[in-house]
Amino acid sequence: MTARPASTDELATLVRDAHARGAALRFEGSGRWSDGRSPATRISPNAKRVSLAALSGVVSYVPNDFTLTVRAGTTLAELDAITAPNNQWCPLLSWGDDHGTVGATFATATAGPCSEALGRPRDIALGLEFVDGTGTVIRAGGHVVKNVAGFDLTRLMVGSFGSLGAITEVSVRLRARPTADVTWSVTADGPNAREQLSRIRRGTITPLACDVLSDEVARELGVPALSALVRFGGNAALIAAARAEVSTIGTIHVLDASVWTRYRSLDPHPRRLDARPLDGAVAGRIKERFDPAGIMNPGVFGERA
Amino acid sequence: MDPLTGTLSAIVGATHVIARPSELIVYENDGLPGYHKLPRLFVAPGNREEAIAVVRALAASNAPFVARGAGTGLSAGSLADGIVMVGMQRMRRIIELDPVARFATVEPGVVNANLTKAAAPHGLHYAPDPSSQTACTIGGNVAENAGGPHCLKYGVTMNHILAATVVLPDGEVVRLEAPRDDEIGIDLLGAFVGSEGCFGIAVDVTVKLTPNPARICTMLADFMTVDGAAEAVSAIIAAGIVPAALELIDAGTIAAVEASIYAAGYPTDAAAALIVEVDGPIAGLDEDVAAVGRICRAAGARTVRSATDAAERARLWQGRKKAFGAMGRMSPNLVVQDAVVPRTKLAPVLRAIAEISARYRVTVCNVFHAGDGNLHPNIPYNASDPDEAARVHEACDEIMALCIAEGGTITGEHGVGLDKLPYMDALFTPDSLDAMCRLRSAFDPARRANPGKVVPIHRCKEWLAAPGVEA
Ligand SMILES: Cc1cc2nc3c(=O)[nH]c(=O)nc-3n(C[C@H](O)[C@H](O)[C@H](O)COP(=O)(O)OP(=O)(O)OC[C@H]3O[C@@H](n4cnc5c(N)ncnc54)[C@H](O)[C@@H]3O)c2cc1C
Repeated sequence: MTARPASTDELATLVRDAHARGAALRFEGSGRWSDGRSPATRISPNAKRVSLAALSGVVSYVPNDFTLTVRAGTTLAELDAITAPNNQWCPLLSWGDDHGTVGATFATATAGPCSEALGRPRDIALGLEFVDGTGTVIRAGGHVVKNVAGFDLTRLMVGSFGSLGAITEVSVRLRARPTADVTWSVTADGPNAREQLSRIRRGTITPLACDVLSDEVARELGVPALSALVRFGGNAALIAAARAEVSTIGTIHVLDASVWTRYRSLDPHPRRLDARPLDGAVAGRIKERFDPAGIMNPGVFGERA
Repeated sequence: MDPLTGTLSAIVGATHVIARPSELIVYENDGLPGYHKLPRLFVAPGNREEAIAVVRALAASNAPFVARGAGTGLSAGSLADGIVMVGMQRMRRIIELDPVARFATVEPGVVNANLTKAAAPHGLHYAPDPSSQTACTIGGNVAENAGGPHCLKYGVTMNHILAATVVLPDGEVVRLEAPRDDEIGIDLLGAFVGSEGCFGIAVDVTVKLTPNPARICTMLADFMTVDGAAEAVSAIIAAGIVPAALELIDAGTIAAVEASIYAAGYPTDAAAALIVEVDGPIAGLDEDVAAVGRICRAAGARTVRSATDAAERARLWQGRKKAFGAMGRMSPNLVVQDAVVPRTKLAPVLRAIAEISARYRVTVCNVFHAGDGNLHPNIPYNASDPDEAARVHEACDEIMALCIAEGGTITGEHGVGLDKLPYMDALFTPDSLDAMCRLRSAFDPARRANPGKVVPIHRCKEWLAAPGVEA
C-alpha cells in the first residue's frame, strides 16, 4: 500500500522510522513516470511506495517579487494556473505531461525544449525543503533571487533523484510571460534542410526553443517532414524581425502553443534519460552522509540496493 | 625553518615559496578591511601538475590550507590563520577558447576581464562581471559564485560554469561536469560552485562564452525620493522587461563618486539614481528603451538620460563600478556590506536602513544591484575611533537582522567567509547547517581546506564527534 504523508512532519516521522528499521522507500510524485525507460524502474521492487502528491499547494507567492514557493506535490499544470493571472510563468516546460509534480521535476532535473533559453531546473530553483535519509527536515537556500549564504544544498538536491532526500517544498524564480509568444513550424527542403533549420538557434534573435524534428515526430505532431518546431517570445517588433529572418531559412506555419504540450509528452519520448552511476569517492560519501541506511530510492543510480 | 618550505620549494621552485613574516604580510588580508591573519607559508604553483603536487604534499603532512586568487574577496574568505596559503595567480593561461562552440577552458588564475578581452575578437564575452573584474580571478569567482551588474539578465557564475577539474584536499583529482539533459546524476559541479575554497582547489575551469549584444542602451534616471526609484525597479521587472542591468545609487554614494576622480556627472541633488541598461538584438530594443523611460517618469523620475555610444556609456558606468573605491577615499575605513531582500521590500528596507544609520550616527552609502534586490549598504568610518567602530558594528548587525526578518539573506555574492559567520545561526536551522557540514565533509573529510569558514563549527555534528575537536 502506498503511504501518502499529508505534511512534512508526517513524512519526516515515516522516514525516521524507515531509517531505524533499514526499510527501503520509493518516492513518487504523480507516479506516472513508470515506463520501462525511467531510472525509477531500477529502484528495489521491495521498497515501500511513498507518494508526495498530497503535499501540494502554494506556500507563498508575492507576484512582484517574481518568486513562488510551492509544495512538492503541486502539478506543473497547477503551477501554470497559479502564475498565469499575473502574466507570469515558471518556464520549466519540462519533458513529460503537465500532471507531473514540481518535486519530481526538480528531483529529476528534467529539462525541456525551452531550457537553453529560459533555464534548467538547477537555474530556476532558489531554495527547497527536504527530508533526508535520517528523517531530518532541512531547508536549503532561500526565497530570494540571489543567495550565496552557505554551501549549496539546493544544487545538491536538484537531480539527485530522491537518493539523498525527499523534496517537500521548492522556491522558484518566475518570469513575466513574453508580450508576444509565437510558435511556428518551419519547413525547409534540400539535402541540408536539417542543418539549415538548426541555424535558427544561432540567429540574431535567439528563439525560446528550436528543435529540428525527426520524420517520425513530425508525423506524430502533424507537421510536414523536415521541420523545426520554433518558439519566439518578446515584444512585437522583435517577433516581426524574427519572422523576417526565419522566413529566409524555411516556410513558416503558425501553430497553436498547445503543440508544445503534445511534443513534450510524446510516448515513446524522443529524448532518452540515463543515470550517471554514483561513481567517485565524493558522491559515495555524500550518499553515506545523507542516507546512511541506504533507504532512499535505493538502486536508482544503478548502485546495489 | 618550517619543514614544509623545503618540500614545497622542491615542487614550485624556491622563488615561489614565501616563508618570511615580513613578506607574508602582503597576504594577511583580502579586499575586506578589518581582518588580518598571517599565513604560515605562501606557495604559488605555476601549473596544474605543480598545484596537484602541492595539495598532495600538504595532504601528506596533514597541513590545512587556503586557496587564494587575487585576494579581492569581501568576506575575509581567503585569509589563512597560521596555515598554508596556496596562491593561484601564476596559473593564468587560457588553455582553450572555442568561438564556435562558445566555451573556454582556463586556468583558475585568469583575471575575469582578461577572459572577456580574449573572447572579444570573436564577438563573445564572459558574462558574469563583478565590479572587481579587472583584478579578480575565475577561480575566485567560481569559489564565491560571484555576481555582477549584468547577472540580472545573464545569470551568476553558477549559470556559466560547464566543468572544472578539482584537486580534493586529500590530493585526489576529480572532473566535475554540468549535468547533461539526457543524464541524471548528483550535481557535484553545482555544489562546488560557491563552496568558498572549502571543497578543494579548482585547477581548470570551463566556462560558457556569451555573444555580445548587437546594441546596448544605458539610461540614467534620477529621483527625488528613494521610494520612487525602488518603485521604478519593481515596475520595470513587472512590465516583462529584463534589463541587462538595473542598479541603484543613493545620495550618499552619488556624493562620494562626484567628489572623486571617478565623477560621472550624476546629479548631486537627487535622492537616488537608477542605471538601467537594456541590450539585445536591434529589433525591439527601442520599444524597451521607451517603456523604461515611461515607467521611470511615472514613478517620479526627474530626468531620464540615455547613452548608446561607448564613451558616454562607460562614463555612466564608471561611477557605479568605482563606487567602492570612491567611498574608500572618504574616510580611513569602509565596511562593505552585502545582503538580499525580496524586491518588493526594497523601499521599506532602505527606509529602515536610513533610520538605523541615523540612530547609530553612521553614514550608510547604498549602491546595489536593485533588479535582484541585492543590497550593498556600505559604511565609511574611522576604525581608530573605538566608539565609532562599535556603532558601525552594531548598525551592521541590525541591518543584517532586518534583511533576514524581511525574508532575505545575508549575502548575495560576496560569500560568508569569516565576516558573515556570526549571522549563519540566525538564517539557518541547526539541522540545515549540519547538512551543509555533511556536504563539506564529503569533499573534505579531514577538514583541511579553508577551515573555520562559512559554517560555524559548533553546528557540525560529525566534526564535533571527531577526536581532538573542541566546540
Ligand atoms: C572593489 C570591489 C568590487 C567588488 N565587486 C563585486 C561584485 O560586483 N560582485 C561580486 O560577486 N563580488 C565582488 N567583489 C568581491 C570579489 O572580487 C569576488 O568575491 C571575487 O570572486 C574574488 O575573486 P579573487 O580571485 O580575488 O578571490 P580571493 O579573494 O583570492 O578568494 C576568494 C575565495 O575563493 C577561494 N579560491 C580562490 N581561488 C580558488 C581556486 N582556484 N579554487 C578554489 N577556491 C579558490 C579562496 O579560498 C577564497 O575563499 C568585489 C571586490 C572588490 C574589492
